[in-house]
Amino acid sequence: MAKKIRDPRLRITRRIKKDQVFKVKVKFDHPSFTGLGIVDDETNPIFNRAIPVSFIRNMFVYYGDQLVSRFRMSSAIADDPLFTFKLKAVQEAPVKVVFVDNQGEKWEVSKKIKFYT
Amino acid sequence: MKKVLSFLILSFFFFYAVSNAVFAGTVEEEFKIEGLISPASPKALKYALENKLEVKVIDLNLKSTRTGWPVLRVQFDSMVVSKENIEKVIGEIEDPAGHKFKVHHGPLLANAPILDEEQKAIAILGDTAEVFPNMKNPITDKVASVSRGEKLFVDNCAKCHGLSGNGYGTVAHGFTTWPRQLWAWNNTGPETDGYLFWFITNGRSDMPPWGLILSEYNRWDLINYIKTIKNPGE
Repeated sequence: MAKKIRDPRLRITRRIKKDQVFKVKVKFDHPSFTGLGIVDDETNPIFNRAIPVSFIRNMFVYYGDQLVSRFRMSSAIADDPLFTFKLKAVQEAPVKVVFVDNQGEKWEVSKKIKFYT
Repeated sequence: MKKVLSFLILSFFFFYAVSNAVFAGTVEEEFKIEGLISPASPKALKYALENKLEVKVIDLNLKSTRTGWPVLRVQFDSMVVSKENIEKVIGEIEDPAGHKFKVHHGPLLANAPILDEEQKAIAILGDTAEVFPNMKNPITDKVASVSRGEKLFVDNCAKCHGLSGNGYGTVAHGFTTWPRQLWAWNNTGPETDGYLFWFITNGRSDMPPWGLILSEYNRWDLINYIKTIKNPGE
């Protein structure tokens, strides 16, 4: 049985002021793999098909109701990737990150932004 | 004559019975195998299969197969071993690194249909990344431009990209990603002008949008200088 994939984790700094540019870190433990193996390294090409390919296809970033960014990825993405990006704190609203992998499975994580006074 | 004929008939039946007894159950079967990842995998698979079951591994075709999956061809006695039994044993084998094997069934799902959420996102943001404009470098006096660009580079860019353009500038240690190493642009033609101008103007990641700081003229000077930076090791 395939290992269950945990939901992603999202980290944002606690003290955010209005109009501050803050960093968002998202860690997702996904076993992305090209599906290729190196069994016979003496002949060329050296790769053979080993297991079904699996990778994160899309990552969407929502701030409030608005879709602010889309990260499009390929099978070259590392397994268990960490994404870091910046947002500008224009409103008190949740930041939601959605992942979709090549098998059509979906995961999401969100955290509410509250301004520090 | 009758004796010869009866001898021939008897010997024919005898050989028929013997060959039936020996070869009747011997069959060849092909299995598509998942899990062949490391060079140790084929040996482990062959060894375990031949030891656990009475089968003979004829061939393991790794690459030139119709579906792309490695194909294992085995010979076995169908009276002793069944195909399901072989599949079960293949599923139990592990190579020395702990990779499990499996018989592949059905087509590979490399990319599932686009979800509704993805459709909506593509409709909002477009399907492709930024298109870099094709631009023409307006500066004709390259020698003077390069010397102006060098001064601008030392004042503005070397802190992060390094004086030699190696990407290890003194202040780059706290950045999300290391700055670009700039030797890749050495001696490149006019086709890279639009790309470099776009990046310098708009910035990316920790790099600020220099379009707000430097004039268009200065940015072209910088591009002309960047194209002269060489790898010091060459």
